Amino acid sequence: MRLLTTAVLMGLAWATATGAVLAHHSFAMFDTEHPIEITGTVREFRWVAPHTVLIVEVKGQDGTLKNWTLEGGTPSLLRREGMTAASLKPGDEIVVRINPLRSGAPGGSYQAPQVKFNDGRPVGAAR
Amino acid sequence: MGKTASVLLTITVLVGRGAAQQPFDQSKYPAFDGQWIRVGPIERYDPTRPGARGQEAPLTPEYQAIFETNLAEVARGGVGDDPVYRCIPEGMPRAMNLVFPMEIVIKRDTTYLLMENPSNLRRIYTDGRAFPTDESPSWMGYSIGRWMDEDGDGRYDALEVETRNLKNPRTFDSSGLPLHKDAQTVVKERFFLDKANPDTLYDQITTYDHALTRPWSVTKTMRRESKPIWVETICGENNLHVNIGNQIYMLNDAGELMPMKKDQPPPDLKHFNVPKK
Repeated sequence: MRLLTTAVLMGLAWATATGAVLAHHSFAMFDTEHPIEITGTVREFRWVAPHTVLIVEVKGQDGTLKNWTLEGGTPSLLRREGMTAASLKPGDEIVVRINPLRSGAPGGSYQAPQVKFNDGRPVGAAR
Repeated sequence: MGKTASVLLTITVLVGRGAAQQPFDQSKYPAFDGQWIRVGPIERYDPTRPGARGQEAPLTPEYQAIFETNLAEVARGGVGDDPVYRCIPEGMPRAMNLVFPMEIVIKRDTTYLLMENPSNLRRIYTDGRAFPTDESPSWMGYSIGRWMDEDGDGRYDALEVETRNLKNPRTFDSSGLPLHKDAQTVVKERFFLDKANPDTLYDQITTYDHALTRPWSVTKTMRRESKPIWVETICGENNLHVNIGNQIYMLNDAGELMPMKKDQPPPDLKHFNVPKK
């Protein structure tokens, strides 16, 4: 069995481009002012419209595992940023900076340049 | 039929055929072909200004109040008045914010603006027709264009377009900048290439709308992509945003509803036989 990645949620105060809009519609449900970093195991990567979906299994500080549902740019946008449907596969261990749902539910938004493998390689240029 | 009448009919048929067979001279038209990609930030009607209030839209007091209510909802984590999360097309003039790349195809009587999101197809009729009076409104509207030879060299330099008969709901952008509820918007555009750099295309847009105190003019800039990538984009494929009643929720990986806003109420299940705990 694959060893699950230790995952820690960290509140990070980035003042960089995390607030950049990646969608053709409002993404106000995602908190761009309080991004967090999650480390976990890819369970699914859906190369679909209107937004790609990244499901990441994350171990919380209390040790429980939880799937996070992350919306990204459209395949159109990600393709131009160097990603393809094969860029991520189940079992990949990644670190991704996200804008979490304001409700506190395990969901958020991600941008392609902010997804990295655990060894630091950018996902966009990996395959 | 008399001999004279027969000759006239023959001439008429021949002339008619001749007109129909006249070749379409593509060289008279500007080189609008290829893939065009937005230059500037995503989803701003005026690409030279910041988003939301920063657009300084000339809204009437009534529509400024509507916009402020929308922004308050957005600040709470809602989507506000932006209808596009439901996969409704951007409509005009918002489609020209050009979230997705666009291709232009010029034919004899129609110029097509093909955007990667297929709901945003624009047909611009250039055959001299008038606006119809019996067309159903649509998000992209009914567009009539006119080719302009501005320097008199026998070749067209610009395409002027007027778009009417638009359908609601529409906003100027994803911040919820409103257009009037009466859907009487008229959009006038002028497409032309940069004279020094023909790989740059401009679209000068003026929107006339009763939500505005005056016509609002902006210029969009697009660059021609030398190595185009086209990706099919069908919005209904996997939309995670669900509208139930007056609330919008997000689906998780298991297809279950998640709240978007803090303390958001769950849907009303009164029509379901929910076992009492």
